[in-house]
Amino acid sequence: MIPALAIENYGLDYVTPAGPVAVLRDISLEIAAGQVLGLVGESGSGKSSLAWALMRHLPRNAREVSGSLRLGDVDLQKLTPKQLTEVRGRRIGMVFQDPSTALNPTLTIGRQVTEALQRHRGLRPREANALAIELLGHVELRDPAGIMRRYPHEISGGEKQRVVIATAFGCRPDVILFDEPTTALDVITGARILDLFARLRAETKVAALYISHDLAMVTRVADRVAVIRYGRVVEQAGGSEIFRAPRTAETKALVASVPRPERRLVNDKPNETVLLAASRIDVHYGDRGLFRVAPPPATHAIDLTIRAGEILGLVGESGSGKSSIARALTGLARFSGDIFYAGRTLHSGQDMNAAYRRDVQIVFQHPDSSLNPRQRIGEILSRPLKLYGGNPADISRLLDQVRLPAAYAQRFPHQLSGGEKQRVAIARAFAARPKLVICDEITAPLDVSVQAQIIDLLLALRAETGAAYLFITHDLNLIRQIAHRIAVMRRGGLVDCLPVEDFDADHVHPYTSELMAASPVPVG
Amino acid sequence: MIELLIRLMRRPQGAIGLALLMLLAAVCLLGPWLAPYAPEKMDFLGRFRAPGWQNWLGADQFGRDVMSRLLVGARATIPMALAATLIGTAAGAMIGTASAYLGGRLDEIIMRTIDAVMAIPGLLMALLLVSTLGNGAGNAVLAIAVAFTPSMSRVTRAVALNVRHQDYVKAAVARGEGAAWIIIREMLPNVMGPIVIETTIRVSFAIMLFATLSFLGLGAQPPASEWGLMVAEARQYMHQAPWVLIAPSAAIALAAIGFNLVGDGLRDALNPRDER
Repeated sequence: MIPALAIENYGLDYVTPAGPVAVLRDISLEIAAGQVLGLVGESGSGKSSLAWALMRHLPRNAREVSGSLRLGDVDLQKLTPKQLTEVRGRRIGMVFQDPSTALNPTLTIGRQVTEALQRHRGLRPREANALAIELLGHVELRDPAGIMRRYPHEISGGEKQRVVIATAFGCRPDVILFDEPTTALDVITGARILDLFARLRAETKVAALYISHDLAMVTRVADRVAVIRYGRVVEQAGGSEIFRAPRTAETKALVASVPRPERRLVNDKPNETVLLAASRIDVHYGDRGLFRVAPPPATHAIDLTIRAGEILGLVGESGSGKSSIARALTGLARFSGDIFYAGRTLHSGQDMNAAYRRDVQIVFQHPDSSLNPRQRIGEILSRPLKLYGGNPADISRLLDQVRLPAAYAQRFPHQLSGGEKQRVAIARAFAARPKLVICDEITAPLDVSVQAQIIDLLLALRAETGAAYLFITHDLNLIRQIAHRIAVMRRGGLVDCLPVEDFDADHVHPYTSELMAASPVPVG
Repeated sequence: MIELLIRLMRRPQGAIGLALLMLLAAVCLLGPWLAPYAPEKMDFLGRFRAPGWQNWLGADQFGRDVMSRLLVGARATIPMALAATLIGTAAGAMIGTASAYLGGRLDEIIMRTIDAVMAIPGLLMALLLVSTLGNGAGNAVLAIAVAFTPSMSRVTRAVALNVRHQDYVKAAVARGEGAAWIIIREMLPNVMGPIVIETTIRVSFAIMLFATLSFLGLGAQPPASEWGLMVAEARQYMHQAPWVLIAPSAAIALAAIGFNLVGDGLRDALNPRDER
């Protein structure tokens, strides 16, 4: 029997001014009809390049050096542009990472779904319309006929991804490529998309290539898993085997870096003195205008206390107001309510004096945007030293503290990798010798293995300096490894605030248990 | 910087533009030494002499050598236009970035004022200023700079608004940095790309505006060999001796084209999404 998709001995180079760079080497994968192959690797391992090679949409500087790509009986590399349009969408579909950019913002959902159906299945407009409503209903969207009339910005990210998935399945292709379809979504929405994928797959028996950097996620949906590293497949095995009995060192490292709640990394008890207490915090964005009322506050009367040296986790889905709390505590957003710190009561951002700003530091989610691209690392690190009184000669000590070579002071941020940039951002926060560091989803854009290194670093720094952390994340497994207490937020309100040991107990809020159920629990 | 130059050279418009600018720079620096005659040396036997071996680009109504006047006059034209553009750009960039950083009501006040100034056409604005301040090259430079400031601040503000929402600006605010530091060190370097492009394109406008002012008798004064003034003076002898008019006009056009091409090339070379 011919496999649905066969990649044989495939190699790909990108031609750069510095010469060709090998992206993929000796890739041999096969997906039988109805099978799901998971492809796992760190960012930069070449997994997305493989997806684009299969879609025949490579950048201009790509050179295919060896091998073949076959879709059933079709040789993908030999197709003319005209034949390609026949194959794309109809025989090979794709679901992208970010649903908000995958849909055209100027067309209604209905237009975009029916257009694909008319084009790829030769339906007449009326039939396509009826089928689209049926498909959207099938992916558990409420009121499909109403959604058809809406524009992409009028529905949520999870709903958009459902529309994209409905369209991909609706064209009945032989193979669908999923490029990290849940990465841009929050945990609960992601888990529901995963359930939907499993159901649709069982119904349609479509073959799929499921690309992700999250090993735990992939093992839940894939029949077989291939691990790719530096453009080479290092291991291929059944979904649950690869987790339970990894053979190669690369896979073992990948498995070890997956956060597991039962493996605690912090075992001390925080002391009881309260470092910072926030009471009845409402965060406001936007003013009352001449003709419009002020928008409702992003959070409602949040009470939080952080003890000296404590790690407090703050979890919730996107839009729950976690980051708004971080902004209020650092004076970046307007708030009402009181913050008690070091014997003072702060009513607004103006009350924050230099001592408060020194003691409370924030690390942002995206190191790309939190480090000024036009400043050298040395200059970035020297600012807090100058502002808060420190010796500019300390820069090399700061770099050493975050395990970076001192020579990095001369570099620009774009010359560093994502993990290294985040280390610089952490070094900048610790340059002020803070008592509280707010970490706003700082590991979200990083791979699991890099995430594990950053967490190790944070814990080492805490042991050195005794700083407390407010750790904002949507990864419940990760936060259960390190936090002393975890606060759960939903729609701007605080639903739970529990010591981490009580998380398995029965008295948790129903939303908290829903969040726990949605977190992918690693098998094995 | 060197990498940028290489990328600029790789495009035809960048290479041609750069070559033209080098030529202009050479003329500005070495003009008086290259000129075969003194720019104000009259020769009454050679009035309206056609281009030939004696005067390569001909001679004007006083028998002055047109090429010598062009070579020497470059110094009066190009640096002035550059200075006017740079002053206007610097002021506009500062106002635009500050406005984007301050936001809210202050932003509104600044931008509406800018809109009001913008409603006056650039040339009219320059004319108004020069006629109030008095004739002369210095005042013309100032007038052109003021005429350029509003649109430059609009362009800058649009870019700076994006930068304002970047986390490094938030980080600086959270650190407690002063407004001046955030505007000058954190934001300005990151809005430079579009400003540089806009500036190079504007230099050519400035050359033409400056020439227009001189042509109207408000910029450089005779017997200076500023290019616009040369065109103005040659106008009445257009039918007798067209070369006296054509030579400075062509020089203005070449300079404008050179700056425009470099601006176009820079826009491509600075585009990070460029794959080549």
